[in-house]
Amino acid sequence: MKPEALQILLADDDTDDCSFFKDALESLSLATHLTIVHDGEQLMHLLVAGTSKLPDVLFLDLNMPRKNGFECLEEIKRDKKFALLPIIVFSTSFDQDRVDLIYENGAHYFMRKPAEFLQLKNIIHEGLRRIVQDFSAGNRTQPAKESFVIM
Amino acid sequence: MYTQNAKELNLANKELAFQNEEKEKRADELIIAKYARSLIEASLDPLVTISAEGKILDVNEASIKVTGVPREQLIGTDFSNYFTEPKKAQRGYQQVFEHGFVADYPLTIKHKDGNLTDVLYNASVYKDDKGNVLGVFAAARDVTEQKWAIDLKIANKELAFQNDEKEKRAAELIIANEELAFQNDEKEKRAAELIIANKELAFQNNEKEKRAAELLIANKELEAFTYISSHDLQEPLRKIQTLVSIIIEEESKNLSDNGNYNFQRIQLAAGRMQLLIEDLLAFSRINTTERKFEETDLHTIIEEVKAELRDTIHEKQATIEATDLCPANIIAFQFRQLLYNLISNALKFSKNDIISRIIVTSSIVKGSKLNNPKLSSENDYCHISIEDNGIGFEPRFSERIFEVFQKLHGKEVYAGTGIGLAIVKKIVENHNGIITATGELNKGAQFDIYIPVATN
Repeated sequence: MKPEALQILLADDDTDDCSFFKDALESLSLATHLTIVHDGEQLMHLLVAGTSKLPDVLFLDLNMPRKNGFECLEEIKRDKKFALLPIIVFSTSFDQDRVDLIYENGAHYFMRKPAEFLQLKNIIHEGLRRIVQDFSAGNRTQPAKESFVIM
Repeated sequence: MYTQNAKELNLANKELAFQNEEKEKRADELIIAKYARSLIEASLDPLVTISAEGKILDVNEASIKVTGVPREQLIGTDFSNYFTEPKKAQRGYQQVFEHGFVADYPLTIKHKDGNLTDVLYNASVYKDDKGNVLGVFAAARDVTEQKWAIDLKIANKELAFQNDEKEKRAAELIIANEELAFQNDEKEKRAAELIIANKELAFQNNEKEKRAAELLIANKELEAFTYISSHDLQEPLRKIQTLVSIIIEEESKNLSDNGNYNFQRIQLAAGRMQLLIEDLLAFSRINTTERKFEETDLHTIIEEVKAELRDTIHEKQATIEATDLCPANIIAFQFRQLLYNLISNALKFSKNDIISRIIVTSSIVKGSKLNNPKLSSENDYCHISIEDNGIGFEPRFSERIFEVFQKLHGKEVYAGTGIGLAIVKKIVENHNGIITATGELNKGAQFDIYIPVATN
């Protein structure tokens, strides 16, 4: 585990979902710092502007206005600057074809937004755990497809 | 002496006068004979006299001409030598001897050079003073020209007949041509009609293509609509569930028992709604997504389904047997959904007191052996059967269970949205097949699926 707080960036337009995420994260009592953006354009601006330091992980919602998660994912991965940014895609529905597409576009992990708060806490915890594990192993590339979906 | 001389002179004069008379008689006879001869020679008809033995006694110039043989060679030879049918000639003059004459007896005279002359013979016997038959006198009438005339007449008759026939044929030909012209007219009319029909057909095809294109767009829109609406429905639902779960977790001590219980019921209801939306989404997706048929090993699909249902299978201690499954021409992802639904049902509706046993079999059968009005007797079908030993159902519901939202049990007894079998039936229909359900209460159920082996 890194001594500094884990820099987490969350991109989600839904204020309820953002507050759920924040609450879940806080209840995990990990050293984290959360930044929230509410649409795709905001996200890209933030990333492009903040070239000094990339976040440690980006939780990316797919359904956002103006620029949705898909487009952001493509744009981010096209840019070499962001090649090492781990992205965890967050979505309400699970569709195998979409999941495959998201994997092909370079996301690290995929999570389906759960219906229960407790589950939400669990999968955020699991996602962060895996990211940190990858860091320590010196592995910042996309994991294998079998580990792609976090249930 | 003088008187003797006068007597002798008188006698001599009488003798002389007698001689002179005889001479004059002879001279007269000679003139007659010459006259007769001239007549004979002048005749254009070949004249001939024939002896009783059939030898030529005398001929005229015309005979010489027609035979091409000189007089000296003709005389004394057999009359019948100079004919194409010597025996007929002989019979001819025999008839003269018998009857005294013969009239218009046809023969053909042969010239030395080979030329033939058709003649008609008229002959009669001639007798001496005492009535003895000396021979036959025969005259030949050249009938070549008459024969030609007759032949010509026949030829003309034949020609007239042929012309008549020709005119009849010409008349028939005119009728035939008129008929042909009429047929051609009809053909052109048909061709014109055909052109119009083809134009109409091309137009219809165009319309069909437009409709097909519109349908494609409509389907895509429906797909998008369905996805978006189910997704949009899922969002607030999930929020409800999350918020309720937060309340239950954090506020349970602040709520009465009733309050807690109510929130739990909200959670259950929301959970059911979620399943419903997911099932509806799956149901609509079956219609609107692309259908790609592939030859697939059913074993692979069964294994994937078993993996998905691993926990339930373990919990029910169930066995799923599937051996010797023939490959089938199917839309893989749809068929996976189908088998998942059927097997998950079999597990759900299993009996509690015995080990659940599910048997999946498949084979190829001929349509003609199946005797089902919905199946073509000309096609081969892949028959897939899923049999279980669960709680079964009453036979009178064997068709209702495939309807959307039709359940045979209350939701408290057996969970479920009532769409599972409707989805199964839709998938079977997508494969141009049929599905039947047979069962008895408490004696298990069997689902039989028939899908054509070749893609239509």
